[in-house]
Amino acid sequence: MTEETHWHPDLLRRFVPTPYVFSNCNGPNGIVVESNDLEIALGVRRAGLVHSRDHLTRGLFCKLIRDMAGPVGGSEMTIVADGALRVLYLGVGTILIHDQERSELFGFVARNVKVEELVTSLIPALLDARGNDKSTQPLLQRSDKRHIG
Amino acid sequence: MPLICIDQTDLRYSIPLCFGGAACDLRTNSADLARVLEGLSISTTDSVPSGFRMRIVVDELSNEAAGEPHFRGMQHVVTATFGRSNVFVFDILRRTLSASVSAAIARDDLFWKEKLIPISLGVLGSAMGLVPVHCACLELDGEGLLIAGVSGAGKSTLSVALSEDGFNYVSDDWTYISRRRDGIVAHGTSAPVKLLPDAVNHFRTLERHGLRRSMNGELAYEVDIAEAFGARVERTCEPRWLIFLERTQAAGPDFIPMSSAEARKYINSSIERLPSQLHEAVAMRAQTIDHVATLPCWRFRYGGTPQFAAKELRKFVVHRRQEIYA
Repeated sequence: MTEETHWHPDLLRRFVPTPYVFSNCNGPNGIVVESNDLEIALGVRRAGLVHSRDHLTRGLFCKLIRDMAGPVGGSEMTIVADGALRVLYLGVGTILIHDQERSELFGFVARNVKVEELVTSLIPALLDARGNDKSTQPLLQRSDKRHIG
Repeated sequence: MPLICIDQTDLRYSIPLCFGGAACDLRTNSADLARVLEGLSISTTDSVPSGFRMRIVVDELSNEAAGEPHFRGMQHVVTATFGRSNVFVFDILRRTLSASVSAAIARDDLFWKEKLIPISLGVLGSAMGLVPVHCACLELDGEGLLIAGVSGAGKSTLSVALSEDGFNYVSDDWTYISRRRDGIVAHGTSAPVKLLPDAVNHFRTLERHGLRRSMNGELAYEVDIAEAFGARVERTCEPRWLIFLERTQAAGPDFIPMSSAEARKYINSSIERLPSQLHEAVAMRAQTIDHVATLPCWRFRYGGTPQFAAKELRKFVVHRRQEIYA
């Protein structure tokens, strides 16, 4: 007889079902998009096909959750980068993670963030973020204690 | 847009630390944070085979205190934020915590002691062979007693009562279990003991402490058990028994043997489900849980005060030891 496992509640929301799945197998430019929100899945697929040509060499797996339970608030965007991981925070409720080594983009989109903002602003900002970008230099120098380079 | 490049920051302070039996390689740009974490580090001879890295950038221009906690996780990454200026990214596959925090948080030893270190062990532990199990742990003459039970069963009040009755305290809520060649080791952290408001009816010394809101929103006393109750604290021990607490209306006590399967089922219900990306951690964790479940195990049904339960449990442990060593 198999033991039935009763899992602890999914407080981190790791296992939210993502029934909307789109994939485009096009070699290194392939993209798979999973979401619990049809609009997000469609929007990222459209934008992702363009983006993958410019930035990715081995396709991209995307999993994005529309986070209806999370907090809403704040409009400041911050990116934390360390090695292969880059994490974008918009306020406190939107968290996008890009693992360059694993070619994965995943995260949570707060309920007040529009899909257009996600695909035209947030995802490009995350994928394009580089420590030596001219556009980010003034902010990198904002704190002298963060010695860059 | 602030872009915090941790890997391009001069993390000039590099210190080897140890938390809950796990070696930690700390890199930071802050002397204050290095000093705080060094003060909380507890070295042990029973360390787990693989450790983790902490890479923490401190923004000296920010003095934002810890805000409301917000946790999310997906794939191999868990993030925690405590307000806008305090962000933590746990990469479980790479066993790394990357963070950016305010200067106020860097100097706040209680934040690291009560929140971040236990959270780090809880999140990264499975990838290091360190399994967080929802149970208290006490030790008597070198032998450990794991006390499990649903929330509200009285693990923490019983832990305090046992400490007052001669047991050494290891942990009251989460215990971190690792394997070694000849068995398992239980590790505690520096986390405070958490007692619900009605505990003051059993422990008058709590009247000197204030209630505060804990991370899960409950009002509770969160106190250092050594300072508040004069308990002796041990950081590790070798568990010998597993006890499941059950409060009843009847006075009790009853000790009823439990099977390994029941014990395993309980432990599995208290641990977090991990995604498929972490299959190696899942397998390692399952092996450790199997070891815990094979400990001699009883259901302990009791009514009455924690002090009454502590006396009964002490008698039971002494009796079992006499049987074993007879």
